[in-house]
Amino acid sequence: MTLFKAENIQKRFGARVVLEDISLSVEEGTVHGIMGPNGAGKTTCFHVLTGYHAPDGGRIVFDGRDITGRKPHQIARMGISRSFQIMNLFDETVVIENVLLALPEFRAHGFNLTRSVFDDKALVDKALGVLDQVGLADLAWQKADALSYGNRRALEIAVALAAEPRIVFLDEPTSGLGVEATRQLMGLIRKLRKTYTIVLIEHDMNFLFELADRISVIHWGQVIAEDTPAALKANKWVARSALGEVA
Amino acid sequence: MTAMLEVRNLEKIYTRSRFDRTPTFRLNADFTIENPGVVGMMGPNGSGKTTLFELVTGSNSPTAGEVRVAGRNIHKVRTDQRDRLAIHYHQSYQVRHFRSFKPNMLMEPAQSDYPLLHLFDEPQFNTQDGYIGFMLDFFRKLRADGRLVFLCVHPNERFHLEIVQEICESFLFVETGTVTPFSDYSALLEHGPARTYLGDLLTERAA
Repeated sequence: MTLFKAENIQKRFGARVVLEDISLSVEEGTVHGIMGPNGAGKTTCFHVLTGYHAPDGGRIVFDGRDITGRKPHQIARMGISRSFQIMNLFDETVVIENVLLALPEFRAHGFNLTRSVFDDKALVDKALGVLDQVGLADLAWQKADALSYGNRRALEIAVALAAEPRIVFLDEPTSGLGVEATRQLMGLIRKLRKTYTIVLIEHDMNFLFELADRISVIHWGQVIAEDTPAALKANKWVARSALGEVA
Repeated sequence: MTAMLEVRNLEKIYTRSRFDRTPTFRLNADFTIENPGVVGMMGPNGSGKTTLFELVTGSNSPTAGEVRVAGRNIHKVRTDQRDRLAIHYHQSYQVRHFRSFKPNMLMEPAQSDYPLLHLFDEPQFNTQDGYIGFMLDFFRKLRADGRLVFLCVHPNERFHLEIVQEICESFLFVETGTVTPFSDYSALLEHGPARTYLGDLLTERAA
């Protein structure tokens, strides 16, 4: 079943056309990759698909409903979460608090100055459950800024998962990660794919080739290719590049 | 049948200033491309390649002559509809900036919903990231959909020549404001100035 669909999305900033015509379709329970060279419009695409920017043209459909032009918080409530290339964490707090703040139950109650959020055992248990999904349950009570870069990325993903999404958009999750942290992240995404539909926006081709079921290649604000990793890898120039033979 | 692109006695003259009309640069072009295809464009820096692209997409006005895209004079088409005939891609992004003193309501509609001409100005063919193949497939797809693709390349690596040989069917060579068309790669290489321009790369290739 198609869970998420973008049709002929266009986005301009003044005279600059960033997205010319983006169409893609994400099946439920799959990992869909969006890749492209630097400056291809990947991050703008991420912002438009997740409602941060309204498109100038085209349509976005989630679970059969047209969500084009809806506000980010409305889109989030419908079950679309996202995690950013640039980390957005509350560094001064403990790890679990970042997740607690993102739980729908917490957001429904709002801030209560007279009562600590940590007193609500059900809420804390739920947050611990989310942290467990990303392998951070043991570090729940550490300060967020004490985490390694790779664990911070995992915490970002936990914050996205706390909202109980059906689909999670991750923007360049490997950005700034070393080889080992990237390998761990790959393991985490493999685990999460059993529960969530995932859209991965990435510059790193090999990362997507390992994880995605289908990949849309974007450049010049358009989908210039779309296929399975196996078919894309078979491209002569991709193979030559991987072998370092292009020179 | 109407040609996809007719560049008729096109001339663009840049002058020193509005008052001092001494020409500083002159571009002349006169060629016709009948059918969809992929056309390679090469030439030294400052020879007028980007100016030619701007004239063809209607973002720059000619001093004389005209550009017809599918029979329509692009400089008479409404500025807000010129991108339905031709698009100029600068490396990895697009800028659409059209100026005209004549109001759009007095100009002609494009009568097209999807651009027929796609002009790629020095796309970045990066050796490391492997996107070259997808770009070439995209050019092929546009061509198969009946579009005319221009690929402006400034070859400085041997594989850039491999790319143009793989994808381009015909060529334009631009040098000091003169545009010369060639039917294929071997015809291009018979042109002295083109050989000089590609000089070292051709030698390296032979070696």
